[in-house]
Amino acid sequence: MGELVLHPSYPLVLESTLGVLLLAVLVVGLFRRGATDHVAGWLTLAGLVGLSLAAWQAEPGRVALEGSFVVDELSLFGKRLFLISATLSVLATLGLSHPSFRKRGTEYYVVFLASLLGMLVLASARDLILLFVAFELMSIPLYFLTGFLKGEDAAPEGAMKFFLIGSISSAVILYGLSFVYGAVGTTDMAAIPAAVAVADPLVLLGLALMAGGLGFKIAAVPFHMWVPDTYEAANSPFVAWLSIAPKTAGFLAIFRLYVEGVGTGALFWVPLFGTLAAVSIVAGNLMAIPQTNIKRLLAYSGVAHIGYLLLGLTAMSVSGAAMVMFYLVAYLFGNMGAFFVVQAVAGSEGSDDISTYRGLARRSPGLALCLLLFLLSLGGIPFVAGFWAKLFIFWAVVEQGMYFLAFLGAVLTVVALYYYLVVARHMYIDEPESPHPIKVPGVLMVAIGACMAGIIVMGVYPEPWVQAFMRVAMTLFSTT
Amino acid sequence: MNGWPVLSLVTWAPFLSALVIMAFGRSRPRLVRWTALAGASVSMAVALWLYATYDTVAAGFQFYERVSLVPSLGIAYELAIDGMSLVMVLLTAIIILAGVFASWTVKTRDQEFYALLLLLVTGVFGVFVSLDLFIFFLFYEIAVLPMYLLIGIWGSSGEVRPQGLFGWAFGRTGVGTKEYAAMKLTLYLLFGSAFILIGMLALYVAAGSTSFSLLALEAVDFDPGLQSWVFLAFYIGFGILAAIFPFHTWSPDGHASAPTAVSMLHAGVLMKLGAYGVIRLGMGLLPEATTQWVWLVGGIACINIVYGALSAMAQKDLKYVVAYSSVSHMGVVMLGAATLTESGLNGSVFQMFAHGIMTGLFFALVGLVYEKSHSREIFKMGGFATMMPGIAVAFTIGGLSSLGLPATAGFVAEFLTFIGAWSSAHSWWLFPAVVGAFLTSLYVLRAVRAIFWGPKSSDPRFQNLPDAQGTEWVAIVILVGVIVLFGVLPGLALGPIDTSTVPLLVRLGVM
Repeated sequence: MGELVLHPSYPLVLESTLGVLLLAVLVVGLFRRGATDHVAGWLTLAGLVGLSLAAWQAEPGRVALEGSFVVDELSLFGKRLFLISATLSVLATLGLSHPSFRKRGTEYYVVFLASLLGMLVLASARDLILLFVAFELMSIPLYFLTGFLKGEDAAPEGAMKFFLIGSISSAVILYGLSFVYGAVGTTDMAAIPAAVAVADPLVLLGLALMAGGLGFKIAAVPFHMWVPDTYEAANSPFVAWLSIAPKTAGFLAIFRLYVEGVGTGALFWVPLFGTLAAVSIVAGNLMAIPQTNIKRLLAYSGVAHIGYLLLGLTAMSVSGAAMVMFYLVAYLFGNMGAFFVVQAVAGSEGSDDISTYRGLARRSPGLALCLLLFLLSLGGIPFVAGFWAKLFIFWAVVEQGMYFLAFLGAVLTVVALYYYLVVARHMYIDEPESPHPIKVPGVLMVAIGACMAGIIVMGVYPEPWVQAFMRVAMTLFSTT
Repeated sequence: MNGWPVLSLVTWAPFLSALVIMAFGRSRPRLVRWTALAGASVSMAVALWLYATYDTVAAGFQFYERVSLVPSLGIAYELAIDGMSLVMVLLTAIIILAGVFASWTVKTRDQEFYALLLLLVTGVFGVFVSLDLFIFFLFYEIAVLPMYLLIGIWGSSGEVRPQGLFGWAFGRTGVGTKEYAAMKLTLYLLFGSAFILIGMLALYVAAGSTSFSLLALEAVDFDPGLQSWVFLAFYIGFGILAAIFPFHTWSPDGHASAPTAVSMLHAGVLMKLGAYGVIRLGMGLLPEATTQWVWLVGGIACINIVYGALSAMAQKDLKYVVAYSSVSHMGVVMLGAATLTESGLNGSVFQMFAHGIMTGLFFALVGLVYEKSHSREIFKMGGFATMMPGIAVAFTIGGLSSLGLPATAGFVAEFLTFIGAWSSAHSWWLFPAVVGAFLTSLYVLRAVRAIFWGPKSSDPRFQNLPDAQGTEWVAIVILVGVIVLFGVLPGLALGPIDTSTVPLLVRLGVM
């Protein structure tokens, strides 16, 4: 001991600083009871911006807690992604006009930060117990946040559904974990590759069960039922974050458990993840077609995107893993941006119905163009990030000779473009119902602008991103 | 001008004028039109210069440009043209120039209309000049996507009936029919591009994941099994755009609903892009698969020719007649390519050019007739020649070229294709090709007679209609002039074409 927990060289420095920030927001809130301003939110935002900058400075290669906690390339990728998405989400939350966010703002932000803390720990966990605890620390606040607007009809229902399914999935993960522990006799993940290499049936059973549990967390078909209701119930800035951060956490856990250090043994999981990917892509895209609520549409399309991510994972190669990371970042900007535009329109029109978007291009051309580009990025059209993301995934899959999966994925992107273009049709072809432009709060405009910059920079100049993610992916497959 | 990025200039000039239009064109209709004209004229001028300076003795790819884009994946902005692409660039330049004049009267949201039209043309030029498969694909997407908005916003409704599975799926959203046609066209073409993308990636990976360059991939000898399925992927992917049976149904609906200039561009140039893709990527990169699959390509082309012509005969809407005739004529293009003979392949490429000009002229004229009479019903109109003699003469010349009358461009193309079909390994292909030509003369002459030369209609709507005026003439004169010029002097196009078809046939091992 004797180490300073806030010193830059301490492995847990990001986590402990976030803990301090959490306490600071809590204390400020306690002293300012009854206040109806956004101080808690701005404090959170300032802290998160600082932490994001610090995360960029962090160097990989440190270990704490006797090897259970590592700061490596993969964990830094995760932490940066979590912090960036959280910053964007808080920025957009400040643009919400609902009175609850001013009266009970402290509650919201403290719980939000707690969940984020869980994610940061999870990114570094190399121990099964720590992984599980981090998962719970991340998940339980999410249930609360879903039901935050408790006065509204949908919120408690969505939160309850999310909570019940989330708890079951945690139990399944824990159940699988117990098999793995029973077989290898340690909770250290470093023992898993050797057990997989000799095809220990108990370990494989345990990992398969955990895959089911993780499937719930990342919302792959058939474990996706909670997604549309939860998205519809919760407020948009939170949903924007919910649609990317916990999913990324799930993928990090998958990388740690099934890929890292396993080498060619990882090929054992190809049929499992390949099936999940194919089913998610097909079902998610098809179920999105009949949706009339844009949040539900984005929810189902999100399920399909999880399928594409799993497709990249199925390649079980360096390029596959790297492209999953690229896809995650592209998806972050595209999907969060889309949800922010949804928030802007809902804030002005009070509805998430797709028909609300009629004639948006005439009312607010800038906002309509932003949503169009976000949707095109999600659909995988050139010059925005999503195109490269899809392309790279297909490339990784073709590289492994899995032509059928690549065909399936490529053909289903057309279905996705159909429902994105339906939204575009409402915005650009239909006549507006009222001539007034949509009022967008300044903070929200900044958040939308940041996402727009993200998809365009990645879309026009993907090279450095590819290089960086390739380097991260290399570490996963190096068998030392 | 050697060493200048001339191909980039051809490609991006329309795009630059689109940017200017978007930036300054709000409620300034004259500025919009003149800027669009300037962009199209620059492309036209440079295309003519390219044609004049292309070295047909040296042949091969010329005017080479290269800028590395994503070095770690071997993606480069690599442009060059050979004789075949040269003719296609010339075609595109002519059609967009005529298209700008033909849309002079667009009134609603003209700023966005011209910007999207020019963006679309940038994509088309880009496809014809790119050597890098990846850039090729990017331009291909640019050429496909603006079509959705162009048809969805400025198209005409009420002429198309949603049918079949697609009609059911789309009918659920309860909207008008131009949106249906726009969506159908876009999704069909994107469905095709999914096949193209996977085929391209497969070749890229098989060649060692180092380069997307056509020149590098040409040097690789791909495994026959891989060649076989990649060829089919390319054939389906590009074939959808070339309207091969049974993937042609988007084309009549789309062309009938689209505004005039968009129909001209789409039927005139974009469909050629599909055939160009099959020849350049399918046949050029996969020689063994080509000889393996020509029976299929040629067989389906025969179905296209006869089925398209029969469908055109059954139509009452003039725009549908022209649209189905495109399906039939694209069959001639594919048939010529499938013969694997010098005259057949030359005829195929020449038909791309001839049909592009001819169908552009048709759609321009149909647009004019509709604008003046507000009707496209063939059998209700009649005797228009007395009121609009200029349009009547132009339409008749286009029709004669369509049925292959000597001294028009259409004759040269069909004649060469027929010779190719007869001397190919499947000489029976000549039979459906000739039947198609016969049917074409039936429906073309019937339509021409009913509308222009037949007895005058007594319908009060069709009295005292004006002839074409002002800028409308420009488009007509350009297109009619090209049809006659290339009909009388086919060597103008066949010279450059021959320099690229012969090496292709040598590569395929049939010459």
